[in-house]
Amino acid sequence: MQESLLDRRDRMTKVLRINKSAEKGLKELLKFLLENGKVKGVVTLRKTGEDGAISYSLITNADHIESTLPLFPLMPVNLGKQLSLLTLMEPATDPIAVVLRPCELRAFVELVKRNQGSLENFLFISSTCGGVYPLEMAVAGDIEEQLAQYWKAVEQGEAIPDVRPACKACTYFVPYTADITLSLLGNKEIDKQTVLFLNTDKGQSFVEGISGQLSEEEPDSATMEQIRKEREAEKQKLSNEVETKTLGIDDLTKTFSRCIDCHNCSKVCPICYCHVCFFDSKDSEHGPVYYETALEKKGCVSMLSETTFYHLVRLFHVSASCVGCGLCADVCPANIPLWAVSLKAGEAVQKAFDYLPGRDIEEGIPITTFKPEEFAGVE
Amino acid sequence: MVVTQKGAILAAEEGTEKGILNFIKQALSQGCFDAVLIPARVPTGDSFAYFLVQNESFLEGASPLSPIMPVQGARAISSLTRRGKGKKKIAAIMRPCEARATIELAKLGQVDLENMTLITVDCPGVIPLSDYFKDPTKGDEVFRDASQNWNSKPMRPVCRICDKFSACGGEDIHVGTLETSSGNILLIPHGAKGEDILNKLGIPLEEDISDWEAKVKRLTEERKKERKQTDEALRADIEGIDRLAEAFSACINCHNCMRVCPICYCQQCNFDSDKMKFTFGDYITRAKARGSLMVPTDTLLFHIGRMLHMSLSCVSCGMCEDACPMAIPVAQIFTLVGDRNQEAFDYVPGRSVAEPLPLTTFEEHEFQEVEQSYAGVSARQERQDD
Repeated sequence: MQESLLDRRDRMTKVLRINKSAEKGLKELLKFLLENGKVKGVVTLRKTGEDGAISYSLITNADHIESTLPLFPLMPVNLGKQLSLLTLMEPATDPIAVVLRPCELRAFVELVKRNQGSLENFLFISSTCGGVYPLEMAVAGDIEEQLAQYWKAVEQGEAIPDVRPACKACTYFVPYTADITLSLLGNKEIDKQTVLFLNTDKGQSFVEGISGQLSEEEPDSATMEQIRKEREAEKQKLSNEVETKTLGIDDLTKTFSRCIDCHNCSKVCPICYCHVCFFDSKDSEHGPVYYETALEKKGCVSMLSETTFYHLVRLFHVSASCVGCGLCADVCPANIPLWAVSLKAGEAVQKAFDYLPGRDIEEGIPITTFKPEEFAGVE
Repeated sequence: MVVTQKGAILAAEEGTEKGILNFIKQALSQGCFDAVLIPARVPTGDSFAYFLVQNESFLEGASPLSPIMPVQGARAISSLTRRGKGKKKIAAIMRPCEARATIELAKLGQVDLENMTLITVDCPGVIPLSDYFKDPTKGDEVFRDASQNWNSKPMRPVCRICDKFSACGGEDIHVGTLETSSGNILLIPHGAKGEDILNKLGIPLEEDISDWEAKVKRLTEERKKERKQTDEALRADIEGIDRLAEAFSACINCHNCMRVCPICYCQQCNFDSDKMKFTFGDYITRAKARGSLMVPTDTLLFHIGRMLHMSLSCVSCGMCEDACPMAIPVAQIFTLVGDRNQEAFDYVPGRSVAEPLPLTTFEEHEFQEVEQSYAGVSARQERQDD
């Protein structure tokens, strides 16, 4: 079973230190990898519009690394989903370095388990994650002015105001299957030193030749544990504040009452990978007989009567693998706190199966494993 | 504007909405239609949805002029009739842009109008969903005040420049409310279906409506002017491929603009299909050509493709913009492009169900100027090739 740094108490790990700020050091590493032909491409955030629009890019020219923003606290799309789309037809043909957040990496692993892409040829660089700001803050252009505050909080390992609620409540901020983990949370030296944990042989071999100091260190598990506890408390608090107190039908109906049936939560969800969703298919279309029968029976029928059904089925399909990235809530035109619904359903299901999505590529998706003796209580 | 010269005046002492509802109830109880498709507040009170109503009692909570448009009404009618007409006759109470989109969908084979009666109402616009959902109670107040005074400021940006907020010609009955003398609404039928209903209800068509028509005309002209100004200003921002790419640079490729669009009816969009899936080698080749490739890929191609497919029928309802998580002014851009394309074909989407879609008609001698410029390009190309 894969472990995160959090689990590696008292275990020595190879560490590379570059005497530059975390962002500069990371960019130097990316440039080094491209210039020395160790990778043929880099996927990371980059400013793509003059007005400040930031999106992921597949970069092949080392000169373009200068304009990247690998640590910018925004997740315009879940990169796990994008890596799946890039490798759906064939695995990456050349080595590619990817900078991504822990939940994006976990989502990609879940998609690969579903044959929606390939991990082959990727070098995964992730970090201990402070979270990202909601898309609407990017839209309003409000992120730049928050950055100083963001990095100060990351340094101190403190809660960051205004990030996605899903991020505030995230207890899986330490990556699981990254080849290299950049230490950010609670790292007081962020603006002086880049600290990279080389978790795998692959990670170690790719950095060979870059100037920096190599050492063997114990990860600061105590700090990570402290942050995890604080996040856990924040999660309890936030999930009590939303209208979805429980997953009972009354609360869910209330929560989904303003759903406009656009299905954008499914479209951006990294786990919802179906090319044609059942709810967008002919099978869920009704003929006039359906409406007229309902009309005879009830005298009145809502044209949006099946939105709760849609959400329930979506939860049923994704909750075992939900990584809690919060993108669903970010794109909802009706402001439904979908992050909390997904989190609550995800936690319940994942706990029941003792399953953590994206922890290990070898760990089978719960519904693909069957144990005759399990859930005897339900039967 | 295609309207009859005479109309009917109905008393609406309790306000416009109640006046409209009284008329609907009367028509329903007299059997003019069997059911009504009408916006109403959802049970939790914080949003609206289209409801199909057969029992008069359910009409109490209906809201012919809801403050928001969570779903474009044409999509609701399409859900009802895409698989063919039912046995029941249904009257839909909608905003003009919803009726116009419905008529476009009928031309595209996605709506069956035979058992439908379209009733439109003068439209003050709708509040953007994001504004409304921040505080629905406040949203209700803002809309009530603004709509009473025809103040378009709090409305969707495309509502503020809407020049087709009144009767458009394709509806069966239009309800005039624009500055009608207080406590009254006008009923203006268009075509046999609408006239039959008013006849059946014994509502005589004797009233002179020229005063209302003049007011509609005046506001239409004002809006046309504003629309032109807005279009010109926007055009400077988006003209040319670089500026257009910049305008869409924040796009996250979620395609939500397409999914809420009443005209985008394809069951499977080309841009969600296997046609848009490429090998990793293809992506690397494209990245190498410029040094980097934006991920998600092909976002601008999607918008241009969508524009090409639907802009001739775009009714400027603004759903796309409301549904965009990145607040890209999609509806304003599509309105600008749609206006110019529609003008080129002298086509007004939803004006008449009998008017064929421009792409289904071909006149040998049209757009010769376009051919000329291409002829020039290909002649130059040939010279260069030599």
